[in-house]
Parts: sequence; C-alpha cells; structure tokens
Amino acid sequence: MVQFTLPKNSKVKKGKAWNPPPEGTEEGRWREYRIYRFDPEVGENPRVDTYWVDMGDCGPMVLDALIWIKNTIDPTLTFRRSCREGVCGSCSMNIGGTNTLACTLHADDAPEKVAIYPLPHLPVIKDLVPDLTHFYAQLRSIDPWLKTDSPTPPTEWRQSREERQKLDGLYECILCACCSTACPSYWWNSDRYLGPAILLQAERWVQDSRDERTGERLDELEDPFRLYRCHTILNCTKACPKGLNPAKAIASLKRQMLERGE
Amino acid sequence: MTTPLAKVRGLGSAHRGAETFWRQRLTALANIPLVLFLILSIVTHIGADYGAVRAYFARPLVALLMLALTISASIHMRIGLKEIIEDYVHGHGAKIMALVLATVFAGGIALSCTFALLKISFGA
Repeated sequence: MVQFTLPKNSKVKKGKAWNPPPEGTEEGRWREYRIYRFDPEVGENPRVDTYWVDMGDCGPMVLDALIWIKNTIDPTLTFRRSCREGVCGSCSMNIGGTNTLACTLHADDAPEKVAIYPLPHLPVIKDLVPDLTHFYAQLRSIDPWLKTDSPTPPTEWRQSREERQKLDGLYECILCACCSTACPSYWWNSDRYLGPAILLQAERWVQDSRDERTGERLDELEDPFRLYRCHTILNCTKACPKGLNPAKAIASLKRQMLERGE
Repeated sequence: MTTPLAKVRGLGSAHRGAETFWRQRLTALANIPLVLFLILSIVTHIGADYGAVRAYFARPLVALLMLALTISASIHMRIGLKEIIEDYVHGHGAKIMALVLATVFAGGIALSCTFALLKISFGA
C-alpha cells in the first residue's frame, strides 16, 4: 500500500528556539519562522527550529529572511538559492503549506508564523534541500531537445509566428518541481508517473513545429503510468509559481493521443 | 546500482492507455443521462407493486436503457477501480489480486444485471 504516514526515522520533532526577540521591541518588527531541519550526519530525526527575523534589517522576501537567518543566527541552515528573482528555480520549498519559490514570495503574503519545509515527498539531503536526481532523470528521459532527420538548414530552423506562439506557456518553465511535488499522483507513483513538470516539458517538444519526432515522443508517453496517472486534480496549476498551466499541457497530450488513435 | 535514467525508463512505455482514457470519458458521458433515467424510474415507482415494476422493466425501451446503463456503468466502474488500485496498492501480489477481484466484481454485476433484465423482459 501507499505509505500515508512518515516512517519512524522521518517523524518531525520539536526543535530549538534560536533567538527570541528582545523585550519591548516594536509590534510586528520580529517575524517568526519555523523551519524544518535535518542533518544526515547526526543520525537524529528531523526537527522544526524556530527563528525570529528582524524585518527592519532584512529584505522583503521569504528568501531574504532565510539568508538573514543564515548570515546572522545560524550558518548551518541549508537551502538552495541562486538568482533571487524567480528565474533559476533553486529556492523552491514548501512555505506555509504551499510549494513555491522563496525568492518571489513576499513575507507579508506568507502566513503569520511561517512554516518552511522542503518540497514534499522527496528524499531530503539536508534541511531544505531535497534530492531531485529522479526528477532530473525523468526530464532526461523525454529527450528535451530538438530532434530532426531532415538536413540541417544553412541558417536556422524556420518557425512562423503562430508556430512559435504554441510554445508560450510551456517554454517559461524553470523546473523548480513545485508542481510535481504538489501532485498526490506523483507522491504515490513517481517511480513511473512522469509528473506535471516533465509532462509540460514533453508537451513543449511535442508542440515544437521544428521537431520531427512528434509521433515517437507521443509513443513514449502513451502509458497508463507515465501520462495517465494524471487524474486532473489541478494541484500543479495551483502551485506553479510562474503562473503556468501544466494540467492544460497534460490535457493537450491526452487530446493528441486521441487524435491519432480515433 | 541502477542509474537514475535506467530506473525512470524501467520496462519502457506500454504504448497503451489512450483507449482506456477514451472509454472512461465515453462511459462517464453516457452515465449522466442513463443514471438520471434510473433515478427517474425509481422515483416514479415509489410505492408501486411488484407487478407494476416488473411490467415497467419489461417495456423494450426501458429494458434497453437499463441494459445500456448496466454495461456503461460496469465498464466505467472497472476502469475506475483499476485506476484506484494502481494508484494506491503497490505490493505486486496484492495489486494483481485486487485487480482480479475488481474485474470479477464488475463483470459479476454486469452479468447478473443483464441476466435479470433479460429474464424480466422476455417474461420467463
């Protein structure tokens, strides 16, 4: 059966309160952050530590708060981040119960006492850093590059304006994995189900007018698990921090399967 | 020791699923009017005696629609049960067993309902 509860060694325990705000400070200046901590080298269960962030001394985004904590209170706090503007997809995590990017979420838009966990249902490497090896292997499996058989044209592969527009809403994906890890089908069956992020990428190459292996791509996707584990609950679309619609991409793939079969 | 890519590729694509998807949507669509017809049939026969209900079921159009409902609902149920089992039951033996039981259950319902309808219709 699917495992609905955490294994014994993954049960989250209460952690340490790091820096309770000084007495008599102005209302709303210090903000409470409850952050998931796990250190594989210690061999202890994960815990939730509490930190207070001085909003007067810190940037506006949740990522700024994490960087502030790391710089001023606890240098052992581990998380991924790079571009700090929603382009690289590194700082995806579960903030206040929602998968999103820490860098594009304003601290005021997060719940009062912000709980921050790693992306759900992935092995945790350390603290807020999940293991995305399988996710990346899934991306590799759909051959996310242009595949052609015709001789390469001397200049470029031409595309009409309309053909190019078909890639809008698909090419912008930053592979942050917020959508896939928000999907229960992906939680239970990610060993075989590709998940919304990868299927959106697959659709991106299926839709590319320059690609000459569309049928082959659809062949590879036509599978009760790879594609059809999607039951259209739309968690993916709700989670996407870039405002994309993976569910629509999946629906398009299913429609094309019918188009060639019926 | 398998590589992540080998794990993802696994046994390869089954190259099927579209047919099941289409069948599920088609039966779902058919079930809407057919189930409404069933509800209407029940409501209009509240308090009716056995003979009246039997006579109602013996009418060719009613029998045909009920037969259609039986077939459509059974197919839909079989697909739905299979989806749920594949979603949640992961042990290989348990999964096969559950799929067999689901098929027997859906098939059994389809056969017994069809048999009952035919019996009533042909007045045996």
